[in-house]
Amino acid sequence: MEIISPEGLRIDGRRPEEIRRFNCRLGVLSRADGSAYLEQGNTKALASINGPHQAGDKAKIKHDRVHINFQYSMATFSTNERRNRPKGDKRSIDISQLMREIFQSAILTDLYPKSQIDIHVQILQADGGNYSACINAATLALMDAGVPMKDFICSCTASLVDSKTIIDVNNSEELHFSNPLLTLAILPTSEEIILCQMKSRLHADHLEDILKAGIKGCKDIYEIMHREVLNHVREAAAVMNAT
Amino acid sequence: MTIFHSCRGHGTYLQDNKLKASVAGFVEKVGKLICVKPVKSRYNGEVGDVVVGIITEVGQRRWKVDTYSRLDSLLMLSAVNLPGGELRRRSEKDELMMRQHLTEGDLISAEVQSVHGDGSLALHTRSLKYGKLIQGTLVTVAPALIKRCKTHFHNLECGASIILGNNGYIWISPLLKEDAENQTTKSDTSTLEREIVARLRNCIMALAERQMLLYDTSITYTYEASLNYQVSQHKK
Amino acid sequence: MLKSRTFVKKTRKGGVVKVVQEHYLRDDVWCGVIGCSSCNTTQAVLDPQCLNVQSNLCPKSHFIIPDTNVVCKQIDILEENCIKHAIFLQTVLQEVKHLSASTYRRIRDAIANPEKKFYVFSNEHHKKTYIERGKDESPNDRNDRAIRVAAKWYQKHMQDNCFQTDIVLLTNDVENKEKAVQDNLTTYTMYEYVMALTDSPELMDKLSGDFEDDEKNQIVFAEYLPLSKIQSAIKAGRLIQGTFQSSRDNYKEGFVRVHGEEQDIFIKDLDSINRAIQDDVVAVEMLPKQEWTKPSGLVCRDVENNENDNAETAGLENTAREEKLENYIADALPSGKVVGIIKRNWRPYCGILLPNPNPNARRFLFRAADRRIPRIRILTRQSSNLLGQRIIVSVDAWQRKRRYPEGHFVRRLGPIGDKETESEVLLIEHNVPYQQFSQAVLNDLPTLPWEITDDDAKQREDLRHLTICSIDPPGCTDIDDALHLTALENGNYEVGVHIADVSHFIRPGTAIDIEAANRGTTVYLAEKRIDMVPELLSSNLCSLRSNVDRFAFSCIWELSPDADVIAARFTKSIIKSQAAFTYAEAQLIIDDKQRNDDIAISLRSLNVLAQALNKKRLDQGALSLASPEIRFQVDSETHDPLELVKKELRETNSLVEEFMLLANITVAERIYEIFPQCALLRRHPSPPLSNFDILLKSAAVKNIQLQVDSAKMLSTSLAQADLQDNPYFNTLLRILVTRCMMQAVYFCSGTLAYQDYCHYGLATPIYTHFTSPIRRYSDIIVHRLLAISIGADKTYPDLMKKDKVQELCNHLNFRHKMAQYAQRSSVSLYAQLFFRNRVTKEEGYILFVRKNAIQVLIPKYGIENTIFLRSADGSELPFIHDEQNLSLTYQDITLQVFDRVLVEIAVEHNEIQGSKIRLQLLEPQVCSFSV
Repeated sequence: MEIISPEGLRIDGRRPEEIRRFNCRLGVLSRADGSAYLEQGNTKALASINGPHQAGDKAKIKHDRVHINFQYSMATFSTNERRNRPKGDKRSIDISQLMREIFQSAILTDLYPKSQIDIHVQILQADGGNYSACINAATLALMDAGVPMKDFICSCTASLVDSKTIIDVNNSEELHFSNPLLTLAILPTSEEIILCQMKSRLHADHLEDILKAGIKGCKDIYEIMHREVLNHVREAAAVMNAT
Repeated sequence: MTIFHSCRGHGTYLQDNKLKASVAGFVEKVGKLICVKPVKSRYNGEVGDVVVGIITEVGQRRWKVDTYSRLDSLLMLSAVNLPGGELRRRSEKDELMMRQHLTEGDLISAEVQSVHGDGSLALHTRSLKYGKLIQGTLVTVAPALIKRCKTHFHNLECGASIILGNNGYIWISPLLKEDAENQTTKSDTSTLEREIVARLRNCIMALAERQMLLYDTSITYTYEASLNYQVSQHKK
Repeated sequence: MLKSRTFVKKTRKGGVVKVVQEHYLRDDVWCGVIGCSSCNTTQAVLDPQCLNVQSNLCPKSHFIIPDTNVVCKQIDILEENCIKHAIFLQTVLQEVKHLSASTYRRIRDAIANPEKKFYVFSNEHHKKTYIERGKDESPNDRNDRAIRVAAKWYQKHMQDNCFQTDIVLLTNDVENKEKAVQDNLTTYTMYEYVMALTDSPELMDKLSGDFEDDEKNQIVFAEYLPLSKIQSAIKAGRLIQGTFQSSRDNYKEGFVRVHGEEQDIFIKDLDSINRAIQDDVVAVEMLPKQEWTKPSGLVCRDVENNENDNAETAGLENTAREEKLENYIADALPSGKVVGIIKRNWRPYCGILLPNPNPNARRFLFRAADRRIPRIRILTRQSSNLLGQRIIVSVDAWQRKRRYPEGHFVRRLGPIGDKETESEVLLIEHNVPYQQFSQAVLNDLPTLPWEITDDDAKQREDLRHLTICSIDPPGCTDIDDALHLTALENGNYEVGVHIADVSHFIRPGTAIDIEAANRGTTVYLAEKRIDMVPELLSSNLCSLRSNVDRFAFSCIWELSPDADVIAARFTKSIIKSQAAFTYAEAQLIIDDKQRNDDIAISLRSLNVLAQALNKKRLDQGALSLASPEIRFQVDSETHDPLELVKKELRETNSLVEEFMLLANITVAERIYEIFPQCALLRRHPSPPLSNFDILLKSAAVKNIQLQVDSAKMLSTSLAQADLQDNPYFNTLLRILVTRCMMQAVYFCSGTLAYQDYCHYGLATPIYTHFTSPIRRYSDIIVHRLLAISIGADKTYPDLMKKDKVQELCNHLNFRHKMAQYAQRSSVSLYAQLFFRNRVTKEEGYILFVRKNAIQVLIPKYGIENTIFLRSADGSELPFIHDEQNLSLTYQDITLQVFDRVLVEIAVEHNEIQGSKIRLQLLEPQVCSFSV
């Protein structure tokens, strides 16, 4: 199958360095401290934040920083074939652990000693780049919850097909296992790389290209996320000023 | 948002000698101090704030209270008014009787006495205004929606009293009768009173939904406006 | 920038799952017309002013939009030079890709050719031309509608931008055409369009026909099962999928090769073959065991009967009767019949037109050069031009009521028997890319004068001081290896093999690299060679000629006097060969005791070492096999063969060979160590014992017992096999052994377990090709791997991917096999030319004995041919075939395998088929048979 046609279009009609349609909304759940809903193409994720609150488990209380509890799950209806376990499988647990570390590096954890922040992200529909969507959704939810962070964390995937880089890889493109799949998360202002995960093999000579493409994707996504957060604040300001 | 030569306030941090916002919200400047206030956040207690809280744990000489802040607040046994006298030493007997006084799930109104270094709050109820709350309903809204006023206790004309906790917890109860001192005897509440409380609750919810600031006037006006609708016309 | 629409499709994967995919519609898909003001095309190819064809129908300049059916069926016409300025819709290409991968490749090639001015319009992603499938619309109808909508858009787009160019939709579908006409689209069928082209009437013949159904024909073949049924039946195990292989000897028989199964399924007659053609993927139903048969052993050629239906059916009945005669067969093979075609693998075939007795006939039969291909019926008006010519024909369809498939004429190559034409035929037939190198490839060549820069010199070891020489066959211009030897103080020798550093010039991913990879190997024909890389490289810059500085990749060993490897290292180097010898010259120097210069001494030492290496190899069980190899001395002017020369083997041949083997093995070990997953290696699987059956049977006739359990035992028993009265017997045996062997193949190390790497013939556990990068692409890859392993080069992704390397290996294996076949065909073509004007008596040996024929090898000329045992009047002689003794007996004459016979070699000339070599049996004399 041709992932990029000779005309330079991908299967879904995008050009190699275009991201998918990106929609997001903050504050979608009233009962959570912060929440966000996000669509990256057909990948849809819902994130909710609870906290910071008193750490429940005594063992997890850290006296100098906040404890982050991350739970990644995929809805049973999120994939083509129904999943049996929405969460708690080995992959989800690994991912949760990874995500916890990612967010520890961006949240100003020392501001909230002894407390805990719960981040729950559920993938409602999986169409490639699930981890990216998860990171982006969690970032937005944290913004909504007013949790202080160094910067946004923006994530995007990238791959190399026939020596051309493509970004924001969707499911049908991900299915080509032989192509490398890079999941990248960065702090967009400093371009600091928070996560760089690679599936399959890639030669070191091409790492730079694929990283460059991935960073561009992250920045494109940052633009949209940033705009959305500003909008959200402005809306709130408008209401506040009206009263 | 990069500002030089300023003092670091809440919601900001320094990186490479630049002041950066760490949360999304509104910038507040007080002299050289720059703060960024997030749109929504947990309650940040300040000394003197009136709060409504829920007892979550009874411990050694202290109660733990949920006040929607980042950590559980503390109510020391020494900071409560015990029956029979203002200034008496807390004896071991009192410690044993703590659960009789306030137990898990009880609601209280209190005032922030001090803020600890880790951000947790110490409360006191050493005033007749404060204490255990019964016969009423609790509404929770975002703390930012509570307007800071001289008083947060209001007896509304419509026939209900309301405590607007700075932490976003709001207590609504029927107006106290003359023999208010004798709280325990107040056992039954009339349907009319219940209706008033319920109507007030809905008004507050409606205001919160629209992100309107909550204070006595805004609540009264909303209440009066709502009187045009019968109970049967209300929607939950 | 992005518009999005989602669509839903269903795929099959166990059950039915709903797949939702995004589908973005864009507003930056351009029309591709030069000078269009509303589009921002960067690669506009369609010239609105261009009047490309003279047509009665469309006198104005116009662009054509062919639909799917037209592309699939009339690809030959679209490939014609005069068809230019066409728009290919994405919808069409997607459908074509689905229907036929080979057509898709061809149309993509045509699009890539800038001359053709073909443009691909991604209509499915264009905001205005995307349509959704209606509620009751079939996918086909939807696609037809999409094509019309896109054509309509183009029409409007051209008007909006004030172009005077018409858009012409080409479709053969009646319904589609009607609807298009309703939409005010200019629409023609391919037939109409081509008919109206006034300046190129020859296109007519290339039209793939619509076939009228002749009512009078009775049904000849059984109907195929529908594909859906076949798939479920294969899943259920009732049918078997395999590739049809027609028998070379008997056109009425064939085999179906099932993937992963050792035993092929035998297909016994034309009815069972049921229109399957060589290489088609077919579905086979197994016959009940009692109906199993085996190959008749007859050698059968199709008779040239023209349009005679009676004869056709009669022929079929005949075969049926033949089969019934043998009702019980002991060693019957699993037999089956073809019930459906899963995928046709038709390709254009070379061949000749058979004359039709009717002078005004338009229908002709075509006979392919490959005798496994059936006759093909074609329609032509230019038969007089085509008779006696080699032509190319494509198959379009094979209908049930037809004895032969229908096809159309594609191209004329030249007169039959003409050297050039025949050479071209054999190149085409063996799929050898023989075109001139394209400009893009030539642009990648270094510019002359080529000089070694300081940078190059810095990165390479300077070995110019060494006494290096090369030994090659006479006339060799692509010298890719050279040797040196230095005696070390400790009594050991330093021996270096220096291989032309082709990978320095051919960088991965360049046009020249892609072309070389495609060609895979240089093909040596009798009179010329088809280079893998342009001549500048093959005969000059890479060739290690004497007394010039050249880049080399050197493999340098320290060898003990017993030829044990003490140490080995690899380096990129600069060398200067002192001399380029032929084998004979080198041999003379070795033998000339008077000569005692550096070269002579090192050659002698090399020779000693080589013999030691050779002995070690033989001790390990390496086979030394024989195949009759001949060469032609070709007249440099006329390219006519002047003389037949048998390849002579000298010590120096073996000298070079031994060191090349050693280099290959050393390199193989090295690259496998560094790249255990993606090293390109070569293996020679040990043949299954069943392969030796015929050999053992033949040998047993002469009371020789061969041990075939291992390579070692085989080589020992071969060494002992000799017959007093037949000095050539041992060689004959070795020739037969060669035919029992499997093909050696390239493979990627990651795809097999280590124990499968072994090379049977050479008796080495690991092997690769390193020493001939000028003529083999595999060696270039090995060079690259080795260069990376010593840090002299960088990797690129495809080199590190197991599946990509294996893909390349498969391709190279195919090219190598084809190159070998082409080489052989070329030799026999020249043998034919050589014997054209002479009649020679020569002795030969019987290699195989068939029921009605014997196969005879003439060692002197390396010619092998079948002699039909027919009497002068053509009737078969009543020879008695003894299967046990492999002999034929008639009266007092017995012909047995390995027997010496005397034959007469002559070229038989035939108007229709051209000439071919004919052997006549002279001795033993068969009355009324031999002349």
